[in-house]
Amino acid sequence: MMSLEEISQKIQASAKRLLAEGRAEVVIGYRRGTTPLTVAPHFARTAEDCDQLVWSSFAKINLATYLPKYPGKVALVAKGCDARSAVGQVVENQVLRENLYIIGVACNGMVDVERILAGEPRPAFEATEDQATIKLSGEGWITSLAREEVLRRNCRVCVSRTPSATADEVIGDQTEPLSADDFADLKELAGRSPADKLAYFKGLVKECLRCYACRNACPLCYCPVCFVDETRPQWLGKSQDEMDTFTFHVLRAFHCAGRCTSCGACETACPMDIKLREFNRVLESEVQKDWQYTPGLTWDQKPPLTTYRPDDEAEFIK
Amino acid sequence: MHNPFLPYPVRIAMLRVETEDKNLRTFKFEFVNPGDEEKFAYMPGQFAELSVPGQGEIPIGIASSPTEKGSVMFTVNRVGQVSSYMHNMKEGDIMGLRGPLGHPYPLDTLEGKNIIIIAGGFAVTTLRSTIVWMLQPENRPKYGRITFVYGARTPGLLCFKDDWSEWQKRDDIDVHVTIDREAPGWSGKVGFVPAVTKEVCPPPENTAAIICGPPVMIKFTQPVLAEAGYSPDNIIMSLENRMKCGLGICGRCNVGPEYVCKDGPVFTLSQLNQLPREY
Amino acid sequence: MAEYIVKENALRAFFQALAQERRLLAPVRVGGKLQMAEARPEEVTLDYGNTHQSPKSAFFPQTERLMAFHKDTAQSDPFVYKPLGLDKITPTVLFGLRPCDAQGLAICDQVFQNDRFTDPYWKTKYESSIKIGLACDQPGPACFCTAVGGSPYGEAGLDALAAVKDAGLALKAITEAGAEFLKKLPGLESGAAESELAERRKAVESKMPGPLDQAKVAAGAILDIFNQPHWKDTADRCLNCGTCTFVCPTCHCFDIQDEQNDKGGVRMRNWDTCMSWLYTVHGTGHNPRPTKTERMRQRFLHKLKYIPLKQNGQSGCIGCGRCVTLCPVNIDIREVAKQMNG
Repeated sequence: MMSLEEISQKIQASAKRLLAEGRAEVVIGYRRGTTPLTVAPHFARTAEDCDQLVWSSFAKINLATYLPKYPGKVALVAKGCDARSAVGQVVENQVLRENLYIIGVACNGMVDVERILAGEPRPAFEATEDQATIKLSGEGWITSLAREEVLRRNCRVCVSRTPSATADEVIGDQTEPLSADDFADLKELAGRSPADKLAYFKGLVKECLRCYACRNACPLCYCPVCFVDETRPQWLGKSQDEMDTFTFHVLRAFHCAGRCTSCGACETACPMDIKLREFNRVLESEVQKDWQYTPGLTWDQKPPLTTYRPDDEAEFIK
Repeated sequence: MHNPFLPYPVRIAMLRVETEDKNLRTFKFEFVNPGDEEKFAYMPGQFAELSVPGQGEIPIGIASSPTEKGSVMFTVNRVGQVSSYMHNMKEGDIMGLRGPLGHPYPLDTLEGKNIIIIAGGFAVTTLRSTIVWMLQPENRPKYGRITFVYGARTPGLLCFKDDWSEWQKRDDIDVHVTIDREAPGWSGKVGFVPAVTKEVCPPPENTAAIICGPPVMIKFTQPVLAEAGYSPDNIIMSLENRMKCGLGICGRCNVGPEYVCKDGPVFTLSQLNQLPREY
Repeated sequence: MAEYIVKENALRAFFQALAQERRLLAPVRVGGKLQMAEARPEEVTLDYGNTHQSPKSAFFPQTERLMAFHKDTAQSDPFVYKPLGLDKITPTVLFGLRPCDAQGLAICDQVFQNDRFTDPYWKTKYESSIKIGLACDQPGPACFCTAVGGSPYGEAGLDALAAVKDAGLALKAITEAGAEFLKKLPGLESGAAESELAERRKAVESKMPGPLDQAKVAAGAILDIFNQPHWKDTADRCLNCGTCTFVCPTCHCFDIQDEQNDKGGVRMRNWDTCMSWLYTVHGTGHNPRPTKTERMRQRFLHKLKYIPLKQNGQSGCIGCGRCVTLCPVNIDIREVAKQMNG
């Protein structure tokens, strides 16, 4: 398997080439972070900047978030889910295809940093990684974790680890798609009473701070003014009122229905580690059932809920 | 302990439509509880939060002078939720008044100086307060020449017509009211505020300017004063920013380290020259 | 000042005594996270890095009802706001505040009780509370209190300071209020703590980062720092998500909102964030901080330039590292501070 260093070098070489050829004005990728288990999004504009580009298992944020309204030509270092989101943005006319170059990277899944840290009470001052192992160390201790064991939940059901169908180039050994989310847990949930379901979803967002980091990290949330920020009329109260908070999450999930690529950026950004994807998964399962549609895999298919066809089912209109 | 978040209950004693576009309404409030008027002791240039129960609050400059006892006056532009709601309120309705907030114009340090007061549009409110205060017999001798330049787009958009037409008759203030373009029935000055300022501003020696108006007016008036020799220390301005608490606590209205609500809204141009233009 | 030793077998009794005297807030698990929250004596832990969120909500809750009115014209004072919550302040003791957070609260106190106004909702809670710190022996990778003028054994903003000693506590009073409170606590045994605390302080500090040089930031003109070119680069990756502001112990901004129904209404305040577009937008639509670059810059200038200017050089960042750890895009205030001083 190609090592992380080799992948990083290839990303750097591609980035330099794209900048030199004028194919891109900026390459958006990752560089090493300042604390263990982190990487920082990196905007490379010069060959020197490109030397800092790295590939890592900690690349949990979705870089496509930066694309809408970004002026000029951009090359995006993309995992499968990032590429799907970028394709979705092109399909939704938020990004011009000719301004976008996708450097696809064969992804083996990202690791769940919050879970790793929660399981290790000692302060870790360093983390190293390869394609199989994460090594954590602190004052007088070192521990190894098998990468596969600490993958993020969404990465375990990823249907597009390598964006070969849409990327302009692919770096790394082709990784095979995993079996898609079977939503088994949702079937159990579906059998519960409406009151139980409501309690379940309200319980999920009990700790919500209303910071909207989920929204800001989401590549689908590009509205110029979000409905929670509208003031005339003001649709929602601003307090920690349970119903207002819940309404925000439900409405956001509906806005993302049939568009969400399960990248998990919302959960990553959430300072309270709320399992936000649960809202989206319910709607994803519905979209898949009714339209057999998976977003972001092709350049020509529009999300079912944003399209109209004369033969759309209309029986619900009385 | 005094609770600066708690508004004094007030009754709308008088309201009138101020301008022909009906976007400006002037409200006179009387305090419901005896004693509150004394607690609300203010000076020209300060503002208050107009507080409508259930709707919210808006920071508005005080248009009356503390010498006009018995009520406090504000002119409110219809822009947001609270101001729109207020435009549908009636005389006799109860609402709240919280303040006074901010610092007044430095009327004491201006003593002995000539003053030119430059206003545009409805930003004239706190300057009306200032002029009424300065023209009081006990205050007028403290100042030299007083010049007042006031402009609006059309005659119908000029506020406080009764006041400035009275002032025009006096010989202890030079009043120059101007509109942007010729209009039927208007026999006064025509021209933009900066041009009129250039024409009438007194020499800079021992003179201070107080300016309040829309950004574009301020932008073009500043160079006129600079060219006339006014030092930035003698140009006094009043800023606006989005505010909530009015107490220098909730953040948001800061310009550099200064809170417009608590440390302003009155600043000299030399102070502002050291600060980011985040207003 | 008084010094005490709480032996391991006396710990439970100590926490029980705290909880009997006052409402006890201490680090406990809430929804899977360690938080400063109401705690039963048996739940209190001594083994933690720091609470997930800052303890500011003890005095400045995220949502706080300030006043209420009714619309019933048959009753007195319809449509007149009356204050809420000021007449029934529960006496509270906080145990286990980290010194960085206590310093953060002290910085907030200067804002809530500034040169012109006193916020009664803050003051009544903050000043009536007893704050017992727990010194930090295991600073984490994002901890840098020592870089911004603090110490893992710092005393600012605390009434008493404890350190873990032989699985029990070494404890000393710092303020009169703290001494008074501890004196009355049943079952507390006197014992020499001061020298132990001083020695340990040195040892832990020596493992921590040295001072972050902010001399040029302190001496520089506001506009020069405001106009530095690096802001745009850092803002590139900022999501403007506001996580940093929500978890920061010195971020104190709030929004005031009214809510009503047909019978009456309340006025409340909610935490707000300078990362939000809505935070500064004028009624006219003009926004003095129109893009994420200006908004992000504001936060760093506030922490590292404006607060020091207003609070005698005290850094507005107390080095707790929460924003560093929780920023989804790894914007590290230590790096920004270096750029500002660069």
